[in-house]
Amino acid sequence: MSSLDAYFMHEVANTPRGRGVLACIQCGRCTSSCPVAKVIVEHNPRRLMEMIILGLRADVMLGPVPWYCLSCFTCLDRCPQGGDIGEAMFAIRNLAVREGNIPEGILTQARSLFETGRVVTSSRMALIQREKCGLGEEPRIDVEAVQKILRKTRFDKLIQRDR
Amino acid sequence: MNFVRYAFFLGCLIPAREPNYENSVRKIAPKLGVELVEMDGANCCAPFSVQSVDYISWLALAARNLCIAEQMGLDILTLCNDCYESLLMTNMILKEDRETREKVNAILADVGQQFKGKTDVKIFSDVLYEDVGLEKVKNAVKAPFNGLRVAVQPGCHLTKPKRIHFGERTGVRALGELVEVTGAKSISYSAKDACCGGPLRGINDVVASDVAKQKLDSMKAAGVDCIVTVCPFCFLELDRGQLEIKRHSKEEYGLPVLHYAELLRIAMGMKLEDWEMKTHKIPIIKILNTVEAK
Amino acid sequence: MEKGVMVIGGGIAGIQASMDLANRGFQVYLVEKSPSIGGRMAQLDKTFPTMDCSICILAPKMIEVAHHQKVHLLTYSEVKEVEGSVGNFKVKVTRKPRYVDEVKCTGCGICAEKCPIEAPSEFDENIGARKAIYMPFPQAVPRIMTINKDDCMECGICEKVCPSQAINREQKPQEIELDVGAIVVATGFDIFDCSMIPQYGYREFKNVITAMELERLLCASGPTGGHLIRPSDGRIPRSIAFIQCVGSRDRRDWIGHPYCSSICCKYAVKDAVLIKEHEPKSLVTIFYIDMRAFGKGFQEFVNRAKSEFGVEFVRSNPGELKEDTSTRNLTISYEDPVTRTVQNASFDLVILSPALVPSAGIKELAKMLGIGLDNYGFLKPVDSVKKPLDTTIPGIFASGYCLGPKTGDIPDSITQGSAAAARVAEILSSRGMA
Repeated sequence: MSSLDAYFMHEVANTPRGRGVLACIQCGRCTSSCPVAKVIVEHNPRRLMEMIILGLRADVMLGPVPWYCLSCFTCLDRCPQGGDIGEAMFAIRNLAVREGNIPEGILTQARSLFETGRVVTSSRMALIQREKCGLGEEPRIDVEAVQKILRKTRFDKLIQRDR
Repeated sequence: MNFVRYAFFLGCLIPAREPNYENSVRKIAPKLGVELVEMDGANCCAPFSVQSVDYISWLALAARNLCIAEQMGLDILTLCNDCYESLLMTNMILKEDRETREKVNAILADVGQQFKGKTDVKIFSDVLYEDVGLEKVKNAVKAPFNGLRVAVQPGCHLTKPKRIHFGERTGVRALGELVEVTGAKSISYSAKDACCGGPLRGINDVVASDVAKQKLDSMKAAGVDCIVTVCPFCFLELDRGQLEIKRHSKEEYGLPVLHYAELLRIAMGMKLEDWEMKTHKIPIIKILNTVEAK
Repeated sequence: MEKGVMVIGGGIAGIQASMDLANRGFQVYLVEKSPSIGGRMAQLDKTFPTMDCSICILAPKMIEVAHHQKVHLLTYSEVKEVEGSVGNFKVKVTRKPRYVDEVKCTGCGICAEKCPIEAPSEFDENIGARKAIYMPFPQAVPRIMTINKDDCMECGICEKVCPSQAINREQKPQEIELDVGAIVVATGFDIFDCSMIPQYGYREFKNVITAMELERLLCASGPTGGHLIRPSDGRIPRSIAFIQCVGSRDRRDWIGHPYCSSICCKYAVKDAVLIKEHEPKSLVTIFYIDMRAFGKGFQEFVNRAKSEFGVEFVRSNPGELKEDTSTRNLTISYEDPVTRTVQNASFDLVILSPALVPSAGIKELAKMLGIGLDNYGFLKPVDSVKKPLDTTIPGIFASGYCLGPKTGDIPDSITQGSAAAARVAEILSSRGMA
């Protein structure tokens, strides 16, 4: 077990979308509502909140749990405290990415976004189908604008890091 | 006929994998009085994967699309739940939080845009329900389905988080009624509110399949003929997902999946083309037999 | 009519206030909108932690107050207009027509036996039935039948069988004006609509009921004669779950009850023990977030529930319930606090402990009286610390749960009833009106 970081809870609370961690009373409704918790034992939203509150920073940041979340927002809608767990997951992921923890699948989409302005590019089949039915060329994307934005926010640096 | 005009936001997934969905929408929209105006240069809405990487990047990318619509003087119509979620949330955050709005506008200035909060975002099914109205949709139905048993898949982001959708948006109820107006029956099943597992496809396929399985099991238990989706992610997950599940656990469901736009198109008397039929990995031919010609 | 004091609400707090004031010599007008006084306490089976029979304690008080020389009972009546100020309130009260002569009726009940129309019984929380002509419960005070015009189809059978010719279809609403020096509001609470938390399946799944509905099932005067049987098939449930905090402690603004209702932990444990006493072999589980058993004897009661009666306590708030369509059993999804994994457990019957909310009609009443409400919709005292029973209008006081969940239990309501009476006496005697 890693050493405890007493400030971690506040670090998450001060990250955009992370405010909800301060409201958690550990009632467990989120976990028993979560579709992933039903199939993956490691994914336990309540326990994740517990780990944040206790300050188990490394376990949370380097672990797989935040990446199992589907962002279905069932937990968020049901939490009686307005704990915004579904939102806090994004905050944790944002922090984890800064530490170099980012799954391959996310990286692929992020890189595609930077290079083409889309998270997923058209397959050859799709392009043929468009032609067949007269939909024409795929809509024009202003890739330059996308790259300008993502350079300004330093998104490009975040996805550059080696894992 | 009075036309409502919307800025048409396609997103990434539909052009990339599901041009049949776009095709169906373009075929039915003019007949229902919906004019879809192209959004030139619109970029990705910045869904789940992008939001997981960085907050401001998400807001700035999503906001750029909102700005394009603002300049067109139109509200946005989207076909995808994830695009809906991303744009709607961004719109709300930037309208309410001045500090964040200023931060995002500072970035948007570099690309010649400014967020002013003058547009709204709507999902396709709500536009049909609220702007077009059930009466009009019903009148357009020329070849209704004969009691086809449908499991409606609303998708998570059609109605959650509730505090964003609450009150103003019609969501699941609208979708159910829109399905019934085509002559099909919307069948109740226990996992209707559950997630399809789509967001994790390509990131964690095991979890995605396990979650989809819960959904499909529930639909099968309720005895439905097919599934109808709004969101292209739900579509892929439930259509292709059945093949994935078959590959790993040998379990077969044989439940064809249709986009709502396709269901309505067929009910309006139009035929799907061969290539469109082929995009459905679970064959849909048996459903078409339940259509009566008026 | 003599000037006196008005008490609005005939529950235990209102009854206590009325008695104390009447004993001091004040003329009391006790106004109650339902056909009988008694309120929530009359609906309960047993009280906690002493496990006394609720109506057995209450009924003598009901009779005493009804027969008191100085108490004028105005049941099936509502306050319509209030004017004036302390010492000099003019109140218009509408007496709704019962279509039964109050003097002639002996409460024998033959009319109800013969009446062909059944309707949901409000007293039984709509899980039991009454007739169109009815007495809400056997110990009702006053012991007079009432006809609900909306249910009645005017067949005339009651008229034919009544031995006292007490049916009077010509009755009209009667408006009376009363001159009172002070008013005590004691309108109690209503039950939260649990279908607002849809994942618990209330109103969707037959075997999911509220704690108040359970009280009616356990009560000998209830629809099952005190036998605990489950709604879907009448079988005796062998595994029962309680889910606490349904609507209470909920900060989501569309729910609107962020407070703790303060008595649910206590009554759930009481009900769990009652069930175990009825059926020692049954499995009873309480799913809770915190066990709030404050005050004398309550923590000991909780401990006994565990050690002596074998009630299971699980510290976990369930996410959702699913129904098995063939057996109508419920499967609760919850995170097991020991293994920290999501478990599914099957139950025959699920009981929800709902939030206790302000009475319907309190907004209109408060407006009429000119008194303030707090953010939750309960009556707001002028100073919650120094003058907790004085409303924002001098001369108008409040007691019991209409002030909100600060009221812990029945003794608290009784205490507040007496205290409000004392306040009234103080104010009126200082004006020479005692």
